[in-house]
Amino acid sequence: MKSSPRFGLYFLVLLTVVISFFPIIWLILTSFKNTAGIYAWPIQYWPDPFTFENYISIFNNSPELLRYILNSFIVGVGCTAITLMCGGIAAYALSRLRLRFAGVMMVGILAVSMFPPVSLLPSLFQNFLNFGLLNTYTGLILAHAGLFLPFSVWMLASYFATLPVEIEEAAKMDGMGFVRIFLTIILPLSWPGFVATGLIVFIFSWNEFPLALVLMTQNAMRTAPVGISLYPGEYAFPWETISTATVLAIIPVLIITAIFQKQIVGGLTAGAGK
Amino acid sequence: MANVTLNQIGKSYGKDTAVENFNLEIEDGEFLVLLGPSGCGKSTTLRMIAGLESITTGELSIGGIRMNETDPKDRGVAMVFQNYALYPHKSVFDNMAMALKLQKIPKAEIEKRVNDVSDLLGLNDYLERKPAALSGGQRQRVAIGRAIVRTPEVFLFDEPLSNLDAKLRVKMRMELQELHKRIGVTSIYVTHDQVEAMTLADRIVILDGGKVAQIGSPRDVYDYPATEFVAGFIGSPAMNFLPAVQSESGWRITGSDLLLPHPEGLATKSETVTLGIRPEHIEVITVVADPDAWVIEATVKLDELLGADALLNLSVQGFDLLARVSGTDFPEAGSKVHIRMDPARIHGFDPATGLALSREPISER
Amino acid sequence: MTQILTLEKRTALTGIGFVTPTVLIIALILIYPIIQSIVLSFGQSSIDGFEPYRFVGLDHYSKLMGDSRFWNALGVTFTFTALSIPLELMFGIGLALLMNETFKFKGWARLAVLFPWALPTALNTLIWRWMYNSDYGLFNAVALQSGLVERPINFLGDDVLAMVAMVVVAVWKTSSFMALIILAGLQSIPRDLFEAGRIDGMNRWTEFTQITLPLLKGPILVALIIRSMDALRTFELPFNLTDGGPAAATESLSLYAYKVIFDFLDFNFGAAIVVVQFLVIFTMSLVYVFALRNKD
Repeated sequence: MKSSPRFGLYFLVLLTVVISFFPIIWLILTSFKNTAGIYAWPIQYWPDPFTFENYISIFNNSPELLRYILNSFIVGVGCTAITLMCGGIAAYALSRLRLRFAGVMMVGILAVSMFPPVSLLPSLFQNFLNFGLLNTYTGLILAHAGLFLPFSVWMLASYFATLPVEIEEAAKMDGMGFVRIFLTIILPLSWPGFVATGLIVFIFSWNEFPLALVLMTQNAMRTAPVGISLYPGEYAFPWETISTATVLAIIPVLIITAIFQKQIVGGLTAGAGK
Repeated sequence: MANVTLNQIGKSYGKDTAVENFNLEIEDGEFLVLLGPSGCGKSTTLRMIAGLESITTGELSIGGIRMNETDPKDRGVAMVFQNYALYPHKSVFDNMAMALKLQKIPKAEIEKRVNDVSDLLGLNDYLERKPAALSGGQRQRVAIGRAIVRTPEVFLFDEPLSNLDAKLRVKMRMELQELHKRIGVTSIYVTHDQVEAMTLADRIVILDGGKVAQIGSPRDVYDYPATEFVAGFIGSPAMNFLPAVQSESGWRITGSDLLLPHPEGLATKSETVTLGIRPEHIEVITVVADPDAWVIEATVKLDELLGADALLNLSVQGFDLLARVSGTDFPEAGSKVHIRMDPARIHGFDPATGLALSREPISER
Repeated sequence: MTQILTLEKRTALTGIGFVTPTVLIIALILIYPIIQSIVLSFGQSSIDGFEPYRFVGLDHYSKLMGDSRFWNALGVTFTFTALSIPLELMFGIGLALLMNETFKFKGWARLAVLFPWALPTALNTLIWRWMYNSDYGLFNAVALQSGLVERPINFLGDDVLAMVAMVVVAVWKTSSFMALIILAGLQSIPRDLFEAGRIDGMNRWTEFTQITLPLLKGPILVALIIRSMDALRTFELPFNLTDGGPAAATESLSLYAYKVIFDFLDFNFGAAIVVVQFLVIFTMSLVYVFALRNKD
């Protein structure tokens, strides 16, 4: 390998990294400027003064922020739990139990995953309203589970397919029932798949917008992306608050992505083997 | 210990028939081998006995009791899989103990039984290890141990030695033989390797395309193959086949002038026949003492030294023959020789049906 | 010992049992609402149920056909999709090729590619909105200070530029996702093929066109399907970037439907829009599935 292609390669890599990170960096820098600094002209590239005042005052300015983040967490964890549990056994049944309707059902699940969330809105809103599920954790968790179960089933099914059949057959001959096989063999052997799927579903749920917007109308119940998006009033865009709140709101997702990047990439690329 | 009866057993997947009209009575304590090329239905049959595949037609009984609908765990069978199928996240001890644990056998007895089997198979040092830390041969022993611990009525083996390297395979083969002598449980063994079949079996069932081609002891199957398929499958290197046509005084080999008299006891009404002779029954003679119809001239095209033996690729008038001779002092490529085929060892097969022209009664069909 | 239920029957029952929770949830959240939306679109009712449901047939649909705002939304959605997909594909392939090479800071590169995907679209859009700001935004600052332009560009106030701005945000966010899918495909191409190509005398370009691209058809198709479905449904991007403006220049179908339902509170008309959107996407997905079928 000559040295100049290498140089070109590194340049491209650097370019990619810069382009990918600059909005987030700009966001973080903005959050450390004071009001004057944000609206300064000519523009301040580096905060001067570099101040934490936004972070200190954010909880006075918008006390609900913490609540928003908490809501996102609860909904995310709840949705992930249900999706993994229901999706896990469904994926096992469809990929391992040689059921006659398995093929049709998998295609069906794939088909419904293409439904646009907005199409679901009128009906979901009405139904949730009538059944008292509006502005409840249960309601949004259920809605998110519905959205992400197809993905979860497909992902987990593809993980299960990599497990050798013979171990399950040996277990059957030893006398294990299906539930036991699932819990003591499938689960331990495929937990990386569960981890990857769970992480991705959590991120999906955190980032979800249309359903979260419509199904949580009370301010106190809103999830982070929705709550922050509704900060802007009629004319004013409180960028100090928005930028600070956004930084805080995306920290969980970014941390998860940074720590588990290998698993997430693995999961997403495996899912490409549809 | 029990006998196993397969009565007109068949398996179909929709329109495809995997196994057809399998009839067999396996004796108590017998070591029975199901032999055949891939796709012949041997594994399917084994899995039907195990309960991993449903039986489409026919009745299966073990120890006289009908087992078609019974769960695998209640049939009194234990299976050794080709890929060992050990629980990777459990120790060797737990792997062997699993079935007993599920049967709710008391802990003390489980320990005793697992330890006994572990002694038998030499696994005492490995009881706490996980399968990943074991070699192929050790894993196979654990798989066998797992089956023995259950004290089943019938052992089922699904090509257990296929994943081992050649040397290990030979060693494990002998261990299996010894094990069977000691434990003496009815065993049904599936393989595509005829050497395994010949060395291990009390009887061999050869399957071809879902149907039974022949059932017999290794000796019978070797000396008196019932079909052309069996004759060609058993024996390495394979039997030489020569198509021939009837003429008044004998059989003329197709594509040559060679006329051979009807060997004693072999006769057919058919116009054409396929003759067969095994490489080891072709002799290279140096001194043509008494020439008879079975002594022929040939040229050595190729010679291959195997060690103790040598293979000679011979060109005879118009056709080729493979002969197996002693590895010391054999004619090399290019030399002209005289060979003699032993007429008592000539086989004949009907070209249309593949069935052998019988000389001796075949034990079972 | 004979069982009442054979292993086969028990397998089937277990299968049904295991699948039921998922089927229930999906039926509740995905299937039933679509059907209900269809029903809603054929009638007139009020949200609080004071007026009973009246069947009005295709009234809403004919109204829809004559609704210029609807056609605008349709056009906006298609334009957006048609502009962003090819760009995303191009950058995605480029990124994937890049990530396939081995180099030192692969971890950072991978993170860089993953972060845009991990961000909530809604919040990401807000960040970009700030950068596009005509008075204080980063882009204008750079453009002015480097002398590229003399007056600040009103990105979000000009209908053409607003669409461009939207496309840029979309491409920035999802090229990485495309890259990941294509990378999976790339990594499944056996190395020997490239080596054989090199011996045959291929340079990097021919390598790319003769080996890489043809073998990537599958993953590319998968990525295309997923992304175009998403692009046709785009909601939070216009919602947060421009609220559909200026003058509905970036009002996607989803956004229009949302406004009709929740701003005008016209559930039935909104349902009609939503059903049309669903049909468009459903048709496209059928087309794609068909194309996929024939590929194999």
